[in-house]
Amino acid sequence: MKNPLYLILSAGIAFLLAACNPSSDDVEPEIKRDNTQEVKQYYADNPEFFSFKTLADLPEDLTWQDGSHLPDIGSDQALKGGTEYGRLQDFPRTLRTVGPDSNGSFRPWLLDYTSVSIGHRHPDNFEYYPGLADAWAVDKKRKTVYVKLDPDARWSDGEAVTTDDFFFMFFFFQSEYIVAPWYNNWYGTQYTNITRYDDHTFSISIPDAKPDMDSRVLGLNPVPQHFYKELGDDFVDRYQWRFVPTTGPYVVRDRDIKKGRSIALTRLEDWWAKDKKFFSNRYNMDRIHLSVIRDTPKVFEAFKRGDIDQFSLNLSEYWYEKLPDDDEDVQNGYIHKSVFYNQRPRPTYGLWINTSRSILDNRDVRVGIHHATNWKIVIDKFFRGDYQRMQTSSDGYGEFTHPDLNARPFDIEKAQEHFARAGFTQRNQDGILTNDQGQKLAFTLSTGYESLKDVLTILKEEAAKAGLEYRVEVAQGTASWKKVQEKNHDIHFAAFNVGLEMYPRFWETYHSDNAYDDAFLDDGSINPDRQLKTQTNNLEALAIPEMDKMIDRYRASEDKQEMIELAHKMTELHHEHASFVPGFKQTFYRLGHWRWIRYPDFFNHKHSSSATQLFVHWIDPEVREETIKAMKEGNSFEPRINVYDRFKTNP
Amino acid sequence: MLKFTPQTVKKLRRFREIKRGYYSFLILAGIMLLSLFGEVLINNRALMVSYEGKWYFPTYADFYSGRDFGLDYSYEVNYRELKEKFEQEASDNWVLLPPIPYSAYENHAPGGTFKPMPPSVEQKHYLGTDTTSRDILARLFYGTRIALFFSLAFMAAVYVIGIAVGCAMGYFGGTFDLLFQRLIEIWSNIPFLYMVIIVFSVIPSAFSVATRIGILLAVLVLFSWTSMTYFMRTETYKEKSRDYTASARIIGASNTRIIFRHILPNVLPTLVTFMPFTIVGAITAITALDFLGFGLPPPTPSLGELLKQGTANLRTAPWIVTAAFGTLVVLLTLVTFIGEAIRESFDPKRFTTYQ
Repeated sequence: MKNPLYLILSAGIAFLLAACNPSSDDVEPEIKRDNTQEVKQYYADNPEFFSFKTLADLPEDLTWQDGSHLPDIGSDQALKGGTEYGRLQDFPRTLRTVGPDSNGSFRPWLLDYTSVSIGHRHPDNFEYYPGLADAWAVDKKRKTVYVKLDPDARWSDGEAVTTDDFFFMFFFFQSEYIVAPWYNNWYGTQYTNITRYDDHTFSISIPDAKPDMDSRVLGLNPVPQHFYKELGDDFVDRYQWRFVPTTGPYVVRDRDIKKGRSIALTRLEDWWAKDKKFFSNRYNMDRIHLSVIRDTPKVFEAFKRGDIDQFSLNLSEYWYEKLPDDDEDVQNGYIHKSVFYNQRPRPTYGLWINTSRSILDNRDVRVGIHHATNWKIVIDKFFRGDYQRMQTSSDGYGEFTHPDLNARPFDIEKAQEHFARAGFTQRNQDGILTNDQGQKLAFTLSTGYESLKDVLTILKEEAAKAGLEYRVEVAQGTASWKKVQEKNHDIHFAAFNVGLEMYPRFWETYHSDNAYDDAFLDDGSINPDRQLKTQTNNLEALAIPEMDKMIDRYRASEDKQEMIELAHKMTELHHEHASFVPGFKQTFYRLGHWRWIRYPDFFNHKHSSSATQLFVHWIDPEVREETIKAMKEGNSFEPRINVYDRFKTNP
Repeated sequence: MLKFTPQTVKKLRRFREIKRGYYSFLILAGIMLLSLFGEVLINNRALMVSYEGKWYFPTYADFYSGRDFGLDYSYEVNYRELKEKFEQEASDNWVLLPPIPYSAYENHAPGGTFKPMPPSVEQKHYLGTDTTSRDILARLFYGTRIALFFSLAFMAAVYVIGIAVGCAMGYFGGTFDLLFQRLIEIWSNIPFLYMVIIVFSVIPSAFSVATRIGILLAVLVLFSWTSMTYFMRTETYKEKSRDYTASARIIGASNTRIIFRHILPNVLPTLVTFMPFTIVGAITAITALDFLGFGLPPPTPSLGELLKQGTANLRTAPWIVTAAFGTLVVLLTLVTFIGEAIRESFDPKRFTTYQ
């Protein structure tokens, strides 16, 4: 022990161990903190935003509504219980619902599809039904929405949901701790005030009385103040693997997190909303067990074995070939196939052209690219005509969608004409166009959708006919998205998932604020030193002063008719700018599910985005046993291939 | 004029006597030779077009647009359609197509939808088509060609570096040897697969396919040359202490001369026996990398990519995996047979048997 060398060695080893110690994943940070005072101070420092009043101050002329006239959701035949087995493509990188890496495919299970906000859009009527609220009142004049919370509302850890959690929501999302600029911006600029009347009554004001101003407020999810007492600069690490208490029915217990392998959700026995009108027939499974299976073909095999209960058959390959109608399990009635036509805004599948790149900054080249991209052959031959061509980047918003603007069709002649105008006239020995300087008309076409990579190889072959070369790059989803967020792409194939909203958003994708830092000088000319802005959704680096003006007006407008006109004009300008090649849209979803997974007779609701989004399905244990027995004994049932086309629209 | 020593001649004769290895060698050499002229056999460009009295040879030439042959489009001619058109017109024009008139890239879907099509002699898709209706035989053929030449280049590079470094270590010994041994130990502990993945994620895809294959080759070589040095080092050590080396040095031969004229020729037989197995390793590596999606950039034809498609469509399109797997088995078996034969013929103990 006295040996100095030994001491040095052990010190060295200790140092190494300390250096290797994972800072975030496994070790709970030790410093305990209590931010109650800090939060109070923040409220006090921002008196215009955070107001405190009494019930007596509540305006009397309010019209309260509670959505009780709306029809139920789901089926009253639904049975509670059972375990549903599902799949995750990637193990979640965090259990946080905001901050870096939180916007992954697991978040819907934690927040988007499972939590209860103040109110929700009814999936049939587009009107609001109550969630955490008992009643609410919209006051257009004061640009304010008043909310009375349901006194039953509880967090999953038993604490009551109160006005304080909504106050804290603003503190939380406006703070820098969460490392989420989008939230900072949204909660900082899209709301102007929150007023407390009592523990269960508050109001929230917004800058403009938009036609859908109720959605601004009713869609809000409170943030549990008691849980975030330790909020600080180390938020990202500290809360990495802590399950946030939820207002919804499902919780993640620590023992159900098997890192890298599986994660399970467990239903709360005494969930506060379990007997409420709009929730009683939903969230029926006791447990949802999600295993990580990366490859889609493997998921399908797992589904066929019965390890997974449901499988999306959206890809034609699966619907027609891998699980055809004459498949044995389908014919024996063990697996049901269902198609459901829905109505809602469509994800924006298409090619996002980075206009900050050289050559791609030339509009003629971009128009040429539009005409050289053969979506028709992809839709007809790859998707077997099941999908439709997307016409604009905002399809499916009713009146807000441009009525007669059509995407540019595949047309080799026109493509070449435009390429020629941009100086690309000569074909090289591979048939690719070049210009006088010897530059090739070749761009990287990247995507993170492994399952759709064939689409790109088809587009590549077709584009070559017009003298355009696409260099296909298929990367893993997260890596690919990172590259796009850093604006390192030429042309990227992706889609933004869109929520069920009244009108499309333009600011995120088309405002110059999201393209460059200081895109324009004060006199309106282009800032020569402007730098691309990363981590935004303006994937086209689109910066047009005219568009900015319209977006600002659109965001400020309170007149629905004006907004519709603006939306159409912006869509036209965007079309004119030709920086987005609209791809395809899917007007339905379809899936295969084992017989014991039951859906309501009408299958699902009009505006649902996927079969499981609203959790109206349930597991019938008797049917399960019956089916397994029948499979052993070789008995069969009536095959079921269901088409629900009540909401099908003509293209 | 290359002249073999009687010993080498004897070894070669013994190699020829081992029929299994010798025929494998002939077959593989045949395949390689054939693949050099692949464009003549499997291609969507015609071998010859006779149009209005003029002859065209599109195979190795620049591309001809449809307008060159009186069609109404300016992109590359579809020679299969051109042939049909000429035949219908019954004119003097004619097209001579390669035996398999498809390229490895084009989507040819006679049924109208892009999906795997089973082998069909009538359509000349002798091994069927893959998930986007590309001819499997064409993709296999060009994929194999790339894999073979990739592995040859890989072997050459690994040997050059391995021999040079190993030889120097063994010959000079001392501090140089010690230093390099440590360096190699450290270097060979870097996980190679991760390096490939990292390097590949940062290569801009704007590079041409050839450049990217080159970079992949460089990365593979960078992490594979080390094992070669061990053999070279020990062999050189052994040869260096032999009397003939000492004599050479007494006569006054330079280091270069001793290494190249005396030691190397005596060490080479050992190395030659490793060669086929290095090739097997390289083919497996590139296929595995492709299978994982870190190999050749799409849509380059490759065995690994076909295998991946095959495993993804095991139930619905078994011909994809059969073709890819079959090719891989044949290829690796041939190389292994050659390797065993070489090892046996270079073995000084005549009657060793391998089981």
